[in-house]
Amino acid sequence: MWFFINFVFFFTLLIIVAYVLLGIYSSLALRTYLRKNSYVDYNVVADSPLAPSVSIVAPAFNEEKSIVNNVKTLLGLHYRNYEVLVINDGSTDNTFQLIKDNFDLVKVNYYFDYRIPCERIKGIYKSTNPSFKRLTVVDKVNAGNKSDAINAGLNICKNDLLVTIDADSIIEPDALSKLVKPFLEEKDKKVIGTGGVIRVLNSCDVEDGKVKQVNLPKKFLPRLQVLEYTRAFLLGRMAWSKLDGLMLISGAMGMFDRETMIKVGGYDASVIGEDMEVVLRMRRYMAEQKKKYIVTYIPDPLCWTEVPEDLKSLKQQRTRWTRGLIDSLIKHKTIFLNKKYGKLGMLGYPFWFIFEWLAPLAAFSGILYTIFLIVIGSMNWPIFLLLTAFIYSFSIFLSTWSILFEELTFHKYRRKRDVIRLVLTSFIEPFLYVILAYFSVVGNIQHIRGTGSWGTINRQGN
Amino acid sequence: MNRIKIVIVILGLLFASSFFFQTKYFHKIAERSDIEFIKYDSENTWLKVYEFAGLQMRLVDMLLVVTLSLVSTMLILLIFILIKRTNRDKREKLRNVLLEQYQDLILSYLSDSVIKKEGFKKIARNKFSRQILIEQIIDVSHNLPIDAKLKLNKLYFFLGLIKDTLSKVDSFKWHEKIQGFKELSALNIKIYNHKIKKCINSKNDILRIESHIALVKLSDDSEPFEFLTNLDYHFSLWEQITLHQLMVENEMNVPNFGRWVDSKNLDVVMFCLRMIREYKQVNNYDELDRALLHEDEKVRKTAIEVIGDLGLFSLFKVLKKRYKYETYDNSIEIIKTMGKRPVKSVMNFLQNVVDVEDDVNLQIEAVKSIKNMGEDGKIRLEKMMNSDYKNYNIIIKHVLDDRIN
Repeated sequence: MWFFINFVFFFTLLIIVAYVLLGIYSSLALRTYLRKNSYVDYNVVADSPLAPSVSIVAPAFNEEKSIVNNVKTLLGLHYRNYEVLVINDGSTDNTFQLIKDNFDLVKVNYYFDYRIPCERIKGIYKSTNPSFKRLTVVDKVNAGNKSDAINAGLNICKNDLLVTIDADSIIEPDALSKLVKPFLEEKDKKVIGTGGVIRVLNSCDVEDGKVKQVNLPKKFLPRLQVLEYTRAFLLGRMAWSKLDGLMLISGAMGMFDRETMIKVGGYDASVIGEDMEVVLRMRRYMAEQKKKYIVTYIPDPLCWTEVPEDLKSLKQQRTRWTRGLIDSLIKHKTIFLNKKYGKLGMLGYPFWFIFEWLAPLAAFSGILYTIFLIVIGSMNWPIFLLLTAFIYSFSIFLSTWSILFEELTFHKYRRKRDVIRLVLTSFIEPFLYVILAYFSVVGNIQHIRGTGSWGTINRQGN
Repeated sequence: MNRIKIVIVILGLLFASSFFFQTKYFHKIAERSDIEFIKYDSENTWLKVYEFAGLQMRLVDMLLVVTLSLVSTMLILLIFILIKRTNRDKREKLRNVLLEQYQDLILSYLSDSVIKKEGFKKIARNKFSRQILIEQIIDVSHNLPIDAKLKLNKLYFFLGLIKDTLSKVDSFKWHEKIQGFKELSALNIKIYNHKIKKCINSKNDILRIESHIALVKLSDDSEPFEFLTNLDYHFSLWEQITLHQLMVENEMNVPNFGRWVDSKNLDVVMFCLRMIREYKQVNNYDELDRALLHEDEKVRKTAIEVIGDLGLFSLFKVLKKRYKYETYDNSIEIIKTMGKRPVKSVMNFLQNVVDVEDDVNLQIEAVKSIKNMGEDGKIRLEKMMNSDYKNYNIIIKHVLDDRIN
C-alpha cells in the first residue's frame, strides 16, 4: 500500500515536472519560430517553378455531407505544382457518385504497379473539365482501414512530397507552402516528415469549403477538446520537434518525403494508430540506415477538423487512439531506451510509454483507490483535498499557459468572451479527466481482448 | 432517465458498501502501520518536518505553497492575457488611424512637394508611430515611378527615420537586424551595404539568408550574386527560390551562372544549374557537360534536367552512355530528358528501355518520351502495340490518354 501511494504520488510529480519542462522548451521554440517566420512571404514558394511537387492523398469513406466542398477546397489551394488524389475507399453512401457528377469524372486507362500492397483498385477517374486537371479519383475496394486507402494513393501518386489528409478536414489555403518550407530549408539532415496544428472546426462558420469565421464550439465536449488540442499542439509537439523526439504527425494532415515513405513500404494496414506507426517506422528506417534525418513540426494552424460532440463518439475515438498507441509502441519496442535511435529512443519513446500509455492507467487506479479509501471510511480528507487542489491548480495552470500561447501566437479566437469561456472550461476540465482515463482503460482492455471498432463521428457537414 | 437511475444505483451501492466496511473492518485497517496516508499522527510522511534550504517545512506545507503559487500564477497569466488582448485591440485601432493619417500626408506631399513637417512630427512622436510611418512610406513607394520614390526617400531622411532603421541594423538582436535590412532594401538605400555585408557568412541561418536577399536587392546591376563566390554555408532551396523570385519581380540583369558551377559549395552549384535553366544560358555547354560527371547524384540529376530543358541535343549522346551507370532516379530523368525535344536518333534507345526494363516507371517514361517525338513517335507506338514481342498495350493506352499526363 505504501509503495502504491508513493508510486502514484511520485509518478504524478514526474508528469508535472515533464510538462513544465516541455512548456518552457516549447515557449522558447515558439518564440524563435514566430520571429523567424514573421518575415516570410509564402507566396514566393507557392508561385515558384523551383518548388517541389506535392501529391495530396485524401481517403474518403462515406463522406457525402462534405466531400464536394472539401475537394473544391483541395483544388483551390495556393500552390503551383500539386495534384489531388481522392481515394473512394468503398463508400456505401453517395460519396463516389457525388464526386463523379460534380467534377465530370470519367474512367481512364491508368497503368500502375501495386508496389505497396493494397486492396483491389476498381478504377481510376480523371475529369473531362480542364479546371479539375489536378484531380484524380481512385475507386477501390474497402479494406476497413485508412492505411490501405493511402497505400493505394501511394501507388498512383508521382510527386516529390506526399501529403496525407482526412477528406473531411478543411485545409488552409497556404497550408502546402507552410508545410513545404522545412523541406526547403533542410541542411545536412533529410526532412522526412512535417506536421502542423490541427484545429477544431465545430461551430466555425464555413463557406465553400473555407473557414470564414472561427468560433469557439458552443457545446462543452468540443470546447474541452479545443483545450486539449491547444495544449497538445502548442505545448507538446513544438517542444518534441525541437528535441528531435517527435513520434506523431497527425493523420488529419501531414507531409512526408515520398521516397522514404515508399522505401519503408507505406502505411501498415494491420495497425490502428497508423499515423504514429508510420512515423516510427520511417524514423527507425533512417536510423538503421545511419542516415541523418529530422521530423519537423510547424505551429501554424493548417487544418480544421470536426471533433466528437457526444460521449459515445468520444469514447470510440479515444479507445481507438489508445489501441493505436499501444500497437505502435509494442511494434517498435526495440526503440525503447535504445541509444541507436538517439533522442527518439532515449526521450521520445519513453515519454510516450510512461506518460501517454501508463499515466491514464495510473490515474484510473488512483481514482479507484480513492474510492476504496472513501468506502472503508479511511480517507485523510485534509490531505486528500490538498492533493486534489494541487493537481487541480496545476491542470488549470497548464491550460491557461496554453491559452496564453494561443493568444501570443495565432490568436484565432478573436472575441474576448471566447477566451474567457475557454478559461472557464479549463476549470471544469480536470473533473472530467476521470472519463478520459476510463476510456483509456477501456482501450487497453480492448487491445488485450483484440476487440473494438474504428468508430465514426457524426459530421455536421459544411 | 436510464443514466440517472444508473448513477443513483452506483451511489447507493457506494453508500451501502461504505457503511458495511466502516462498521465491520475499520478497526482492522486502522491498525495497519504501513498505510501512512490514512494516519493523522506526526509519523505520517506528509506531516513530517523536512529541512530544505535552511527552511523547516512539512510536505503538506510545501504542497500548499506550490498550490497557491500555481493558482496565483494562473491568475496572473489570465490577467496578462486579457490585458494583452485589450492592448492588441487598441494598437490595431491606433494603427489603422495612423495609417490613414500618414497616407493622406504622404499623398499630399507627393502632389505638392511640400513637407508638412509639423503634420508628420505631430503624429510620429514615438517609436510605434514612427514604425508605422516607415511601413506606410515603404508600402506607398511600392508602385510608384522612380522620381516619386526618390521624393519619398527624401522625406524618409528628412524626418530622421533612417535613425530608427539604423538602430535596428546595429541591434544585437537578429530579428531587429533583419527588420532593418528589409527597410533599407525596400527603400533602395545602398550607402549602408557594408553593414549588411558583415552578416553574409553569419552562423544564424535566417540572418545570413536575409542579408543575401537584401544585398541582391541593393546591389549594383553588375554584381548582385558576388556573395556566391565566398559562400561557405548552406544555401537552402528556400533562399534560392526567394532570390529567383526577386530576380523575376525586379527584372534584374542576371550574371552568367556558369561561373559558379564548379563551386565547392554543392548548394551553390545546384542554384546555378537551376538558374542556367531559368535564364536559358545555353552558352554553359561545357559546364553542363562537366556537371554530368559530378560526384553528387543530385547535381548530376539537375544537370540532366537542365540539358533537356535547354534542348542541348549534342549532349544526348553522353546521356545515353551515362544511362546504365546512373542511379534509378537519374536513369528516369535521362529518359524524361530524351522526350523533351523530338530527336529521332534516341527513338531506338527509348524502345530498347521499354523492351529491356522491368520497372513500370521506366517503361512509362520511355513510352511518354516516344510519344513526344511527334508523328514518328505515334507511328512507333502503333507498331509497338501490334508487336508480338511484349504486350505494351496497357502502358501505351495509359500514356496516350491526355487526361492522365
